[in-house]
Amino acid sequence: MGADASDLSLVRRVQRGDKGAFDALVLKYQHKLVKLVMRYVRNPAEAEDIAQEAFIKAYRALPQFRGDSAFYTWLYRIAINTAKNAVVSRDRSPIEYNIDRNSEESYEMQGRMKDSETPEALVLTDEIRSIVNAAIDALPEDLRTAIVLRELEGLSYEEIAAAMDCPVGTVRSRIFRAREAIDRRLREVFEGGLGRAEELG
Amino acid sequence: MNEELDSQLSAMFDDELASAECELLARRLSRDVELKARWERYAVIAAAIRAERGVRLNARVARRVSVIVGSEPALAGQSAPRRRERRWLRPAAGVAVAAGVAAVSILWLRAQAPPGTVVATPPLAAVSALRVTTPAVVPAASSRPSGSDSYVVPPAARGAAAIVPATELANYVVAHSMFSSPVARRNLLSSFMTSEPGEAGAIPLSTDSAQDLPRDAKSSAQ
Repeated sequence: MGADASDLSLVRRVQRGDKGAFDALVLKYQHKLVKLVMRYVRNPAEAEDIAQEAFIKAYRALPQFRGDSAFYTWLYRIAINTAKNAVVSRDRSPIEYNIDRNSEESYEMQGRMKDSETPEALVLTDEIRSIVNAAIDALPEDLRTAIVLRELEGLSYEEIAAAMDCPVGTVRSRIFRAREAIDRRLREVFEGGLGRAEELG
Repeated sequence: MNEELDSQLSAMFDDELASAECELLARRLSRDVELKARWERYAVIAAAIRAERGVRLNARVARRVSVIVGSEPALAGQSAPRRRERRWLRPAAGVAVAAGVAAVSILWLRAQAPPGTVVATPPLAAVSALRVTTPAVVPAASSRPSGSDSYVVPPAARGAAAIVPATELANYVVAHSMFSSPVARRNLLSSFMTSEPGEAGAIPLSTDSAQDLPRDAKSSAQ
């Protein structure tokens, strides 16, 4: 088991011309990247635009990626640079709004107007979160501990096995079963409301 | 869907799957829509557990990136061949430089040596077959029974120089031909031939061998 073997196998496929493999990398890292960019810009819609630009830059630069560092580390650097450049260029040419900037209330409103979040999209995100949390609460304790240690604490299977005093194979199985249980609940939302919310968003 | 496959996908998402299995699954993941949708939901579950505030959990970024990448040219064959090319170019360039330096060193040593002395090339550890055991500068008449050592060959002994330095050096260069380029080797050999006509002519020829020579060569030998 090599570190970053999963990403590297997808990266190699993209380098050989398989664009579908790049979709998988974007799906895996889009939330992390948006979260990262939001350190530089507070507006979620703007953060998404910058993350999108970072992914496109990464795709174009992928022939030069040799795997000396982990793919996410490389992507992280691209995203940081893209975010910094976006902040600099935005500061150089601020967008003018017909709102009185002297008023604190108006300034707050300007922030909301820049945010393209629709109420439906916000509701959907909240709904997904509450479904995932409810599904985690309903899990047997060993499955819940395994998935939380993995996703929240970022521990490896080996570390979780040591913490839970069980074989690595058991950890793998527990995490998979936890994901499956949550996924069953989540699938209903994705297959039902997500498409409609995306159209609106 | 196959449970084993889903279990592998979960392990791959956590970067806990063996490389060989990752290769196979990556291939399937890039094509299988259902598998990709599951992969996407795994990412959403992770983001929801981490409670990333402000991050929307619908995959708008992925959809937009997918559309843009779809209109871009594929990356196939842009990186690997270049690296393969460099892999053999570097050692080849190193060998060429080393051969060039060796040739220049030999010529320089020969140019620096006083007339009438035999300059042996520095012994190389890797070339034991030649048995180069002579010091850097060897007296030509080393068989003298007594008297102070001299590195100047006396005129009387010059005619009997059985060492045949140019030949020895030429043999040495030929033996090392694998480390030098053909052009450098040819230049070196021709410089031996032209720079020391006296010594080359001092090679003792037996009468038998002299008879085998053409007539004009025979007269010059005698």
